[in-house]
Amino acid sequence: MSVSIKIDDVVKRYGANTVIKGLSLEIRPGEFFTLLGPSGCGKTTLLRMIIGFNSVEGGTIAIGDRVVNDIPPSKRNIGMVFQNYAIFPHMTVAKNVAFGLKTRRMARGNIADEVGKILRTVRIGDLAQRMPTTLSGGQQQRVALARAIVIKPEVLLMDEPLSNLDAKLRVEMRDAIKGIQKDIGITTVYVTHDQEEALAVSDRIAVMNGGVIQQIGAPAEIYRRPANVFVATFIGFSNIFEAEMSAAGPDGSRSIAFEGGYSVRVGNIAPESGARRVKVSVRPEEFEVLSSGEGIGAKVESRVFLGLSTHYFVRTSGGRRVEAVLYSDDERSFKDGSDVVLAVRPERINVFGFESERSLTAEAGR
Amino acid sequence: MRAGRYRGSSPVWATITVAIMAFFVVFLLFPMALVLYKSFVGADGSSLSLGHFAKFFHQKYYWITLVNSFRVIVCATLCSVALGIPIAYFMRTAKIAGKGLLEILIIVSFISPPFIGAYAWIQLLGRQGAITKVIDAVFGVRYNGIYGFAGIVLAFTLQSFPLIYIYVSGALKNMDSSLVEAAESLGCTGFRRAATIVTPLVMPSILASSLLVFMRDFADFGTPMLIGEGYKTMPVLIYNEFMSELGADDGFAAALSVIAIVITTLVFIVQKRIASMNAFSMSALRPIVAKRVGGLKGSLVHAFVYAVVLLAITPQAVVIYTSFLKSNGGQVFVPGFSLQSYASVFSGANGSAVWNTYRFGLEAIAIILVVGVLVSYLTVRKRSLLTDVLDTITIFPYIIPGSVLGICFLFAFSRQPLILNGTAIILVLSFAMRRMPYTIRSSTAVLSQISPSVEEAAVSLGASEMGSFLEVTLPMMAPGVLAGAIMSWITAISELSSSIILYGNNTQTLTIAVYTAVVRGNYGNAAAFSTLLTATSIISLLLLFKLTGRREVSV
Repeated sequence: MSVSIKIDDVVKRYGANTVIKGLSLEIRPGEFFTLLGPSGCGKTTLLRMIIGFNSVEGGTIAIGDRVVNDIPPSKRNIGMVFQNYAIFPHMTVAKNVAFGLKTRRMARGNIADEVGKILRTVRIGDLAQRMPTTLSGGQQQRVALARAIVIKPEVLLMDEPLSNLDAKLRVEMRDAIKGIQKDIGITTVYVTHDQEEALAVSDRIAVMNGGVIQQIGAPAEIYRRPANVFVATFIGFSNIFEAEMSAAGPDGSRSIAFEGGYSVRVGNIAPESGARRVKVSVRPEEFEVLSSGEGIGAKVESRVFLGLSTHYFVRTSGGRRVEAVLYSDDERSFKDGSDVVLAVRPERINVFGFESERSLTAEAGR
Repeated sequence: MRAGRYRGSSPVWATITVAIMAFFVVFLLFPMALVLYKSFVGADGSSLSLGHFAKFFHQKYYWITLVNSFRVIVCATLCSVALGIPIAYFMRTAKIAGKGLLEILIIVSFISPPFIGAYAWIQLLGRQGAITKVIDAVFGVRYNGIYGFAGIVLAFTLQSFPLIYIYVSGALKNMDSSLVEAAESLGCTGFRRAATIVTPLVMPSILASSLLVFMRDFADFGTPMLIGEGYKTMPVLIYNEFMSELGADDGFAAALSVIAIVITTLVFIVQKRIASMNAFSMSALRPIVAKRVGGLKGSLVHAFVYAVVLLAITPQAVVIYTSFLKSNGGQVFVPGFSLQSYASVFSGANGSAVWNTYRFGLEAIAIILVVGVLVSYLTVRKRSLLTDVLDTITIFPYIIPGSVLGICFLFAFSRQPLILNGTAIILVLSFAMRRMPYTIRSSTAVLSQISPSVEEAAVSLGASEMGSFLEVTLPMMAPGVLAGAIMSWITAISELSSSIILYGNNTQTLTIAVYTAVVRGNYGNAAAFSTLLTATSIISLLLLFKLTGRREVSV
């Protein structure tokens, strides 16, 4: 029953300004798919092209087997949850949810049943007769979701649905959304600029920047093996080092030489790369912070205690500012001004071309 | 009264509060109270009775004016709504060629003095009207002109639909496009969407503006007086009874005034209720974008919008055109164009009408600025029981029909200790009082946007309370205050219904000059006077747009 969405070489133009030039993407049936990127990256533009509020200037968008380019939004059978919820303020919760069923001329008794059922699914069954203005942000969010899915759309679109909620509610609602999506198994496209949210809810994520898809993959894949420096720094935090990579040795492994003479051997670089200057990304939690031994020499400048973990801001002997994280209950702890050594775990780091900033790691997602 | 009673306020502000209060007591409450009293004093001059009210409700000749008023106003309000809503909807949702100019024309037709519309339509559709002559020639009939009911409704409608337009257009502007899109994604489009989503959301604005139209037209004196002929409305009756050459009946005129005030107050209260019902405090993240509408649909939309706007602006065009026509020096136009009407209106006694208008207007604005700004400051920042009372009192000038305020003033200031009858002061004061609400409201609006902490910062840096007001708050309020003052000014110079009662031989204004010229049949002079008035209004309006950076007026 779930359908796929095939986006093939689509183009979006505003006058002379081309915002999206030839973007292709396939979303699998029943998948929770997220478009993630900084504001202005084209993610909402693409979402609005899928539902039809934005015209398509080139290429095709197909939902299931049906190319929808020229089908008006009202006939596409897509449910949408808007950033500001767009709850009709003059109707009760029940009337809001019933709205789409009425336009579909469902019998009155059936409408009442469906509305009751869906309100229980999103756990606001007791709010049916309330006016929207009396609801909290989270409750309004649930109404918007109920209204979008009660029409049994083929596809559900969500445009930054959690951005208006406070931090705690955001976590609660994203889990609720994920749970409901799993239960009804609907193909869902979700837009957000919040990488943590994307990692938490998605089956797969497309990271976008400047109207171009940077990487598509499962959350863990994108986090561990970013396709380029942009993804490495946009998803989570990464320290970027400049380093020298040697040519492949007899076993295919290479040495990566950091500043101050520290080097490690890595075995997962694509064979076609020769010796060259590279950029290396290391996440704060991927360092081993030692008081002495082999590694990049550094001095602790400041620390931030965050309960579970403690963040160390250190300056390397080469003058680079680096962030490293240790569990707070780690037996090692370092005072401001103390000298430390940062060692990296070769299998965890990511290596990118210096100019191209593209990953040189063999299994990195494309 | 001791200053200590004012919460968080210095003796200076306490003194100002009392002074402002005294101003309103003398120039508003006292005249109103006097009229109320007079309405209950019997014919013998001493005993209290309901005789005047009984007279009104027993004789058809009198009460029919109330029925007439209601009939034309209900009709005109419905017509205004029927024109205002679609125009607002089309202008917001469809790309209309020349939209900027249309918006200005709509607002110009709204701010120009109401009775000019009536008089221009007489020139077109009256007994001797230009269009009437064509009708007579083509159909071989003797059309008697659009006097009475139809004429009043026509003039009122074209004058009032812009108010509905302004309100509905404002509501549509605050509507987020996601609401419309949500409906569309749920399968609801076109007329059905306009009916189930858009209309209910702007309904409070429609109702609120309808009642404003109702109040405005109910109080209008000039239009029914000029074009109504035998069809008498309430303000016409009030004027006639008061000015009756057979010996004015003060008590009866007072009773009529009281009835009028009661009606407008009731309408106002209902209006307030409905306006506050506007619980969908909408704010548009992404406002609705005007879309290109092509084909037959687009042509029809354009035709409709242009037809209505042209009709609404016709009176101004007719008046300006007439003002340049050549006449035989009296009431008969001869072929050709000339500036003789202008020469005439700038000379002698006529000239003083021009001069008086600007002088009185500016003096009234000076009073309005000082009192209005202080009232808004007191009611927002120095809240106390007394300023709350002040807040309520300042609503009255907005509610009271002009002719009634004129009568209130005349009763109050024709005797000791304050004889102002026939002076310029009484006109200036009546203008100031009548048009104060515009400035108070826009000052209050801008003041409530300014954080009190700005003033507290000034005080913490050593400024006195008065100093922080003058040096910090007042400059920040200035743009909003000026915008309101310009609206006060535009409406003050077009005031007729109170000034027609209060003017004396030496205190004629442009509006009175127009009125008198029309009554005498001197259409050339009337047109020249009107054109001056319209030109002043338009220049002021453009100034307002420049100042606020928006093509909008607050009403």
